[in-house]
Amino acid sequence: MFWTVTLSLLEGFLATIKLFALTLVFSLPLGLLICFGSMNKLPLIRVPIRFLIWVVRGTPLMLQLLIIYYGPGIFLRLNVWGTSTSGRFMAALIAFVINYACYFSEIYRGGIQSIPVGQYEAAQVLGMTRWQTFKKVILLQLIKRIVPPISNEVITLVKDTSLARVIAVYEIIWNGQAFIKSSGIIWPLFYTGAFYLLFSGLLTLLFRYIEKKLSYFR
Amino acid sequence: MPILEVKDIKKKFDNSEILKGISFDMEEGQAISIIGSSGSGKTTLLRCLNFLERADEGTITVRGEKLFDASLPMESADALREKRLHFGMVFQQFNLFPQYTALENVTLAPGLLSGGQDNDAIIKRGKELLDQMGLSDRMDNYPHQLSGGQQQRVAIARALALKPDILCFDEPTSALDPELTGEVLRVIRELANKNTTMIIVTHEMAFARDVADEVIFMDGGVILEKGPAKEVINNPKEERTRQFLSSVQSGS
Repeated sequence: MFWTVTLSLLEGFLATIKLFALTLVFSLPLGLLICFGSMNKLPLIRVPIRFLIWVVRGTPLMLQLLIIYYGPGIFLRLNVWGTSTSGRFMAALIAFVINYACYFSEIYRGGIQSIPVGQYEAAQVLGMTRWQTFKKVILLQLIKRIVPPISNEVITLVKDTSLARVIAVYEIIWNGQAFIKSSGIIWPLFYTGAFYLLFSGLLTLLFRYIEKKLSYFR
Repeated sequence: MPILEVKDIKKKFDNSEILKGISFDMEEGQAISIIGSSGSGKTTLLRCLNFLERADEGTITVRGEKLFDASLPMESADALREKRLHFGMVFQQFNLFPQYTALENVTLAPGLLSGGQDNDAIIKRGKELLDQMGLSDRMDNYPHQLSGGQQQRVAIARALALKPDILCFDEPTSALDPELTGEVLRVIRELANKNTTMIIVTHEMAFARDVADEVIFMDGGVILEKGPAKEVINNPKEERTRQFLSSVQSGS
């Protein structure tokens, strides 16, 4: 039984990791785009983006999952997600990407605004272009500042993926819970915790390593 | 021909007029100190010269080439970038790049400007400049490993690395502990002895008197008095200058 459960949970955890990794791949760069939008001089760009951030950060992720999955069908009579597993996964991925991109954008914004103006001015008087200033002077300082809050979000994301089961994405908790119905045992559900712990432990080590790598300057 | 001609520079922020028409010339090899109480517009003037602020009115001419004319439309970022290189700037807060060593701080901008060519020459020159600043043994240190005085000397080397026509200092010792101002003032004095063209905004009156050829006293956005350094500081003509000098010398 233990091996059956472990294999089933591993299979679910694979879906968890896939959702986790793809969310990061898309939300980290999208967050930068949203960040630039939220700092844009033109209110026409800035105001809608800030509105989006407000809505996304102000409502539960679970609700966002449900709206993105069921919304198109209910409000637009469109069957965008199909009926397959991959359709539900896609809906979950999009909800996660939008949600996390908004959180990341605020972390980026805080990071950018915390870089002293003097750094930009020093680069300017040394004849650097805007791009050189960003690439050679600002970027590494920015990364150093945002790694701790980003690592927080990333570890939260590991656990947030479990919300995807509300639209029947077969991630690890779903698979664990299935044993209650099928075999009348609850311990597989508790067992899922070990997978989360192991994975977030590895991530913690990874981020600690990155922070250490960046500790040669202040 | 004067190396720098500044004509009728005016600058407003919101509704307060910070510079109300500043004009002066300077010759190559001269050092000019600008003194005056805070809020008199000294720093804003330096920032206008370095194009960190855009003056609302006036012109700036270097070696006969009109670099800036407020009546003309704004130039492209690239054009402005080239013109800026006529001036060097040393900031009150040093503004070194924390992720680079002292030497890298000095060589970064020249390297970017040369597009990766003459790297050896750039590094050689960077080392010479840091030697000159008395930092031979500090080249591979990061800014946070240096004292304020050492950081400011790196910043001076960094500004010199681009061989500016005119080197500007914005209160270079104001952020330093009193015991560290000496080492920074010493290297500025050495630069003056080598006839480096400099504009120094400072609160160190004795230093201004001894090092600068001329002193400009600014008050309320205008130049109230300008003349040979010793004359202005020892025998000011204007009552307001006298008041300022006595308040600085007696006070704090």
